[in-house]
Amino acid sequence: MGFAIQFVIDVLSLGGAYALMALGLVIIYGILRLVNFAYGELIMVAGYTMYLTSGSGLPWIMMAVFAVVMAVAFGIFTDYAAFRPVRAKSVTAVLITSFAFSNLLQNAALLFISPRPRNVPLPEIFSQTVSIGGAITPVRNLITIAASIVLLAAVAFLMRKTTLGIAMRAAATNFTMARMLGVPANLIISSAFALSGFLAGVVGILWIGRIGTVVPGIGLEPLLVAFIATVIGGMRSLSGAVFGGFLLALIDTTLNYTLSQDLLKFRDAFTFGLVILILLWRPEGLIRGPASGQRT
Amino acid sequence: MLDIRDLLVNYGTIRAVRGIGFNLAKGELVSLLGANGAGKSTTLKCIAGALKASGGSITLDGTNITSASPEQVVRAGLATVPETRDVFPDLTVSENLMLGAYIHRRDRAGNRDNLERVHNLFPRLAEREGQAAGTLSGGEQQMLVIARALMSRPSVLLLDEPSLGLAPAIVERIFEMIETLKRTGLTILLVEQNVNQTLAVADRAYIMRLGKIVASGTANEIRSTTDLSAHYLGG
Amino acid sequence: MKHSYLTAIILLGVILVIGIGSQMLGIRLYDRIATNLMISLVLVVGLQTFMGNSGLLSFAHIGFMGLGAYTSAVLTIPAQMKSMALPDLYGFMKVVEISPLFAMIAAGLVAALVAAVVAYPLMRLSDAAAVITSFALLVVLYTIMNNWSAFTNGPRTLFGLPKTTDMPIAAVLAAVVVVVALAFKESRTGTLLRASREDEVAAAALGTNIPHLRWRAFILAAFIAGIGGALWGHFITSFAPKAFYLKETFLIITMLVIGGANTVTGAVAGTILVTVAYEGLRGTEGALNATSFGAGQVIGLTEIVLALAMIAVMILKPGGIFPNREIGHILIRARRKKEIVAQ
Repeated sequence: MGFAIQFVIDVLSLGGAYALMALGLVIIYGILRLVNFAYGELIMVAGYTMYLTSGSGLPWIMMAVFAVVMAVAFGIFTDYAAFRPVRAKSVTAVLITSFAFSNLLQNAALLFISPRPRNVPLPEIFSQTVSIGGAITPVRNLITIAASIVLLAAVAFLMRKTTLGIAMRAAATNFTMARMLGVPANLIISSAFALSGFLAGVVGILWIGRIGTVVPGIGLEPLLVAFIATVIGGMRSLSGAVFGGFLLALIDTTLNYTLSQDLLKFRDAFTFGLVILILLWRPEGLIRGPASGQRT
Repeated sequence: MLDIRDLLVNYGTIRAVRGIGFNLAKGELVSLLGANGAGKSTTLKCIAGALKASGGSITLDGTNITSASPEQVVRAGLATVPETRDVFPDLTVSENLMLGAYIHRRDRAGNRDNLERVHNLFPRLAEREGQAAGTLSGGEQQMLVIARALMSRPSVLLLDEPSLGLAPAIVERIFEMIETLKRTGLTILLVEQNVNQTLAVADRAYIMRLGKIVASGTANEIRSTTDLSAHYLGG
Repeated sequence: MKHSYLTAIILLGVILVIGIGSQMLGIRLYDRIATNLMISLVLVVGLQTFMGNSGLLSFAHIGFMGLGAYTSAVLTIPAQMKSMALPDLYGFMKVVEISPLFAMIAAGLVAALVAAVVAYPLMRLSDAAAVITSFALLVVLYTIMNNWSAFTNGPRTLFGLPKTTDMPIAAVLAAVVVVVALAFKESRTGTLLRASREDEVAAAALGTNIPHLRWRAFILAAFIAGIGGALWGHFITSFAPKAFYLKETFLIITMLVIGGANTVTGAVAGTILVTVAYEGLRGTEGALNATSFGAGQVIGLTEIVLALAMIAVMILKPGGIFPNREIGHILIRARRKKEIVAQ
């Protein structure tokens, strides 16, 4: 019983974080067809903001809010600084730009901060454990689950019930038509980057909460997770991204529990093998995205 | 109301529209006729702001909108229904209509009244309110895009081949609906290939061929004096 | 076809000039830089065979280079050194010791084989998904190299490869790869692939199986990457898995993209240009580190400059320096124009 609870909590907390990461990536991809390699660096920005404000004496929650704000601001900034000038060129050009920008940010952190890990302040509660039905689990897992439920619900509300969200969904299927109805392109794009940055910021704090330190390359693993989750889920579907995130967490957790210590090192390779099998069966991903809407 | 002068539009190196001019008076229904590839849809897209003009001017009610973005054009009071029948397939009918009213999103009461009007015009859409637009039939989707354009409360409506690919009975209803819209005083520019039905509702018409206007006049003049088949068959 | 011969002659000439020039100077540093340049040429032109023809970016290329390097290492490290270099190696492999030339071919084949197995499903994905999964593939290959201690000595440095690569050998291989890339570009597969990029629907309607064509190009690129890995391994003689990861991926992609991914000429030009810039920047970084009074190391400056250069190229000239036409083609056109003017 305890084991089952432990397993479920692990899957849900990992899956919640994965789902949020994938969602932040797919929101940008859906609207701009932009695979944002610099997405992981938003997590890095959140982490370093926490590190740099750690001496300020602010309450932790204020630092966390500030870190998320910085991630949002950086998300919008990347769009203006890097993507806007190349957007009209080609999909590959934008992709390469995002890859270059990701490298730029990481190396800037190397150069101006340090290649070595930096400690990030965390409240006590992140290191406490609690026993639920015989399973001892870190409180931060429960926080992650709660945060992801709240955020996924909030994103669902935003995308389904608000004019902005509906306009964003519309822009994701047919950007020109949305503009022809008066939906401003810049508002939609900036909102998408802001939302993506917001999700990255929150995930960043939860992610760093597991490790307690930040390094320039911290964004790589979350980026990879988001990549794989979106590919299995279907690149253009928001619900697909969430589903892919939880599925990936299920695969990872199952492997964590079943693989021997020797094989566990290869977990990523096993996961990737499974992903390849899924894609052999369904190259479009498990959940089909919106139809493109063009019928010419 | 809408005044186009010396309009030039290029697609890369292809000159799709080569210096055309025409105008619409308030409340007029003017038609732009011509074969495939004559440059009609290009002209419309350019007026709507989706394509950049390489020369000439577009004036709407005295304001120059030549290089306006699509969102500025609709704010200026000109709504476009593209030929591709671009409903947002995953959004419901009412979400589609709600986006049509995007520029008036603060005026909830006005939108409610307007929605009622649109529902009276297209009762079918009221029935399908909660359905995803992608599941509608072709005719219903055409109604939806027109209704959505009306939700922006335009003073000028551009309609690009509303009858394209629809069954004759539905085409009939679409043209009836265009007449109804005309009676409300809306200024309409109708691009069509369906010559007879179009000339029956239009006040005036222009005929385009290979990016130029080759004939113009009232609907009756066009019908009686111009050899339309020549322009269509390239003779 | 005629202009591809001219392109081949010019590019081979450039390789020859750099090769001879670096030897005539007689400075060890230049010899090292020139050898590195030749090895980079093998890798970048190899990547061009996939990316230039299919239009898809592959991030996994360096991973295949790593596979090649480790394959060749396992096959060539002298038997008496193996117990030290690779203490966990499986028994039957311990006695294997073949000539570096055969090992290099084996390295290419292993990389190609792995590519063939792994990439088939990936080539069916949509463009963006294919690029993303190639990135994931890089990470997976890295994970494997980092952890399969029996073959790779884990994250620790593997040493003991015989030093058989020198500048002339690297230059000859670079020349061969340039010719192969040009030939592949003009081959049926290459032509169809490039046509399919222009219009996927039309190409599919003609009965071309695009994923299959992409797959072939990917295997060829992996084969070349494997060879390049072996070549590099026998030059550097000791390395760790982190040599086959993001930093190097970034570097070869920068080379290819700045030069122009669509042309072999671009791949060669980009490699030369970025190598020169890279060495210059590294030197500057070193000088800065030597003078800064222990105020900390300057790390990452080179990458920052290269990233900025790459973004600038994307904004100003998204196709790179040679976006469409090979050098031979450009010259012949220019001459024809001149002739027309003269007449």
